[in-house]
Amino acid sequence: MNVEVQINNSINPKSQFVSWAPSPCRIRVTNPSGAITPTVTIRLSSTSAATGGAVVFRKGTTGAFSNTLTLTVPIIGTSVPFFVAGKFGRPSSSNADVRIDARFGTLLAGSVKVMVRIRKNANNLTPAERDRLVSAFAQINNQGAGRFADFRDMHTNVTSPQAHGAPGFLPWHRAYLLDLERELQSIDPTVALPYWRFDQASPNIFTLDFFGVSNSVGTVSFSPTNPLQFWRTDGVPGINRRPFFGTNTAPPGLRTEAQTLALGNAYPAFRTLEGNPHGSAHTSFGGFISSIGTAARDPLFFLLHCNVDRLWAKWQRQFGRFDPAVAASFDGAANPIGHNLPDTMWPWNGITTPPRPPTAPGGSLAASPCVSAPGPQPRVSQSLDYQGNVNAVSRLGFDYDDVPFS
Amino acid sequence: MTTKLKATKKSKAKSAKPRSTRAAMSVATSDKETVKARVAAMAEVPLAVCESDKDLQSMLSVLRDQAQPIEVRLAALQSIQAASFSVVAFESCRSDYIATLRKVATDPDLEMRQRVLGILAREKDGFAQRKLLEGLENPEKELVPPEKALQLLSYDIHAEAYPIARKIVNNPPNEEAKREALRLLAADAKSAPVFEKLLRDKNETAEIRQVSAAALQGLKPEKLQESAREILLDDSDYDEIKATSLTALTQFGDKDQVNKDAALKKHVNRISTKGGAKVKRTARQFISKYGR
Repeated sequence: MNVEVQINNSINPKSQFVSWAPSPCRIRVTNPSGAITPTVTIRLSSTSAATGGAVVFRKGTTGAFSNTLTLTVPIIGTSVPFFVAGKFGRPSSSNADVRIDARFGTLLAGSVKVMVRIRKNANNLTPAERDRLVSAFAQINNQGAGRFADFRDMHTNVTSPQAHGAPGFLPWHRAYLLDLERELQSIDPTVALPYWRFDQASPNIFTLDFFGVSNSVGTVSFSPTNPLQFWRTDGVPGINRRPFFGTNTAPPGLRTEAQTLALGNAYPAFRTLEGNPHGSAHTSFGGFISSIGTAARDPLFFLLHCNVDRLWAKWQRQFGRFDPAVAASFDGAANPIGHNLPDTMWPWNGITTPPRPPTAPGGSLAASPCVSAPGPQPRVSQSLDYQGNVNAVSRLGFDYDDVPFS
Repeated sequence: MTTKLKATKKSKAKSAKPRSTRAAMSVATSDKETVKARVAAMAEVPLAVCESDKDLQSMLSVLRDQAQPIEVRLAALQSIQAASFSVVAFESCRSDYIATLRKVATDPDLEMRQRVLGILAREKDGFAQRKLLEGLENPEKELVPPEKALQLLSYDIHAEAYPIARKIVNNPPNEEAKREALRLLAADAKSAPVFEKLLRDKNETAEIRQVSAAALQGLKPEKLQESAREILLDDSDYDEIKATSLTALTQFGDKDQVNKDAALKKHVNRISTKGGAKVKRTARQFISKYGR
């Protein structure tokens, strides 16, 4: 008796990644030997490596998750659907550290290894996670000649009205991070963008082995073992970043997470986080990250914005703001182009006529082997339901370590 | 309940409720408040700066006023700079902001000058570039140390800083200035031979050799691969540069060429167990990619 288990409804090994939001899966019998009835009972369970992730199961789109699941599967090969999700609080630390077993009685009929791939606090990454991340960043930068140049060019003074100072600020940056993350995952599928929790001390981020140590003028140094020593943007090697705070502390003056979440239960009030803590986090430094036109030259930018996005995710969960049809989930007033729910977002829409910028670097938004959303030319509205709470097919394929699935 | 407990509860309740932006702006711009209170209030007002011309002008006035405490002025700068991230709303403030920054670029306070010139340099502001170049040509006119000036000039490869950078590489006022001059020249294709020479020079510091490796990797990657190989095979060279060389080959090396290089692979295999910690670590990464 053999069965095939498909994660995210695919046998592609690149699809074997899950997050807290449930992934659609299916199982089918591929070799019915030993079966004497038209259907067989298959029991799904999981085994985790030490410090590995953990998963839970459920049969349908609603209901509680459990550690095991029993399914009735036809022996003629018809697929039976079910769902797998990462067990909240148990993210993976390495690839394939969770094994899903399918048993027919005591016989192991099939298994598949998955990774519970989650965006984590960058200060708490293991050395291996950290090294995989910096290596992927160095590869996508490729000494200035790589795909990262497009991401840098998406965030300049000329392009900034597409993404700032209006309601689309959060949706645009969510899509931006997602695009970069998927490109990093095409280099190393185990990588997830971590966040810089800027309202807490994060000394492990500002080290020679990770995002570097700044000298008195703000030139960042890296260990000779760190591939970020070859980082290059705008033709110039290196990163300029001068913290105005001791990096074993948090920057002063930033709104805390609690204060940010208390800004208001409707989006127009919440999005004032753009000023503080977002803008204040940027300007806690001198150097690239402190000016809008150069901020994306520093890879720390993406960790900063990952935290901004995490705050939005947490607020969404706190107030149930995933549904674009709910007025308080967004700011429905007439907004500039690119900042209304039905609008497509530049640059992924490829539009280069005014009022959009004159170029659209990077092409369409990267696809994922795990999910189909948001598609190559995402709309503002598609950034909201990132876990598929309203519509399962809206799931974007990422989750934060401290924001569960609703 | 005791008086102390009541006071604590009241204090907590007071701090839990955020004050209005108007109240924060009032504190931020008031000479009667303490420095600490004003700095804290400045952090609350970035978006307000864009919404009211009166508020913007108040903040710019604080920034310009050398009689104000420097901590308050720097906080005002930081707050306005944070506001500049709301680009659409800030657009109407931008010209006044840039004009103020240019005035403050020659401030008596070094920290203020560094921050302001940094902001202007990132905007590729010609006024700031001229001031920085002037300071490098004539140290009596320098507004920031030479290494900072070079770093800021590197924001614009069209700032015409290559000639002065080359002079400084040959006759540096200090090691940091030499390093920043080299970083600036890393965008200059004509400087590739300089980097090749510095990379191979064992008398240079590890930092200079590392900058040279990074520069050469961008300008002539095949030359870096060649030099990295020679450095690795040279038992008398230092661990730091060997680790940099291994990282370069592992991340960006020509895979076919490295795979065919039996002598290199054999050598890396040897140093993976005999070298210093950084060499061992990067050698293992090399072996993981290319095999033994």
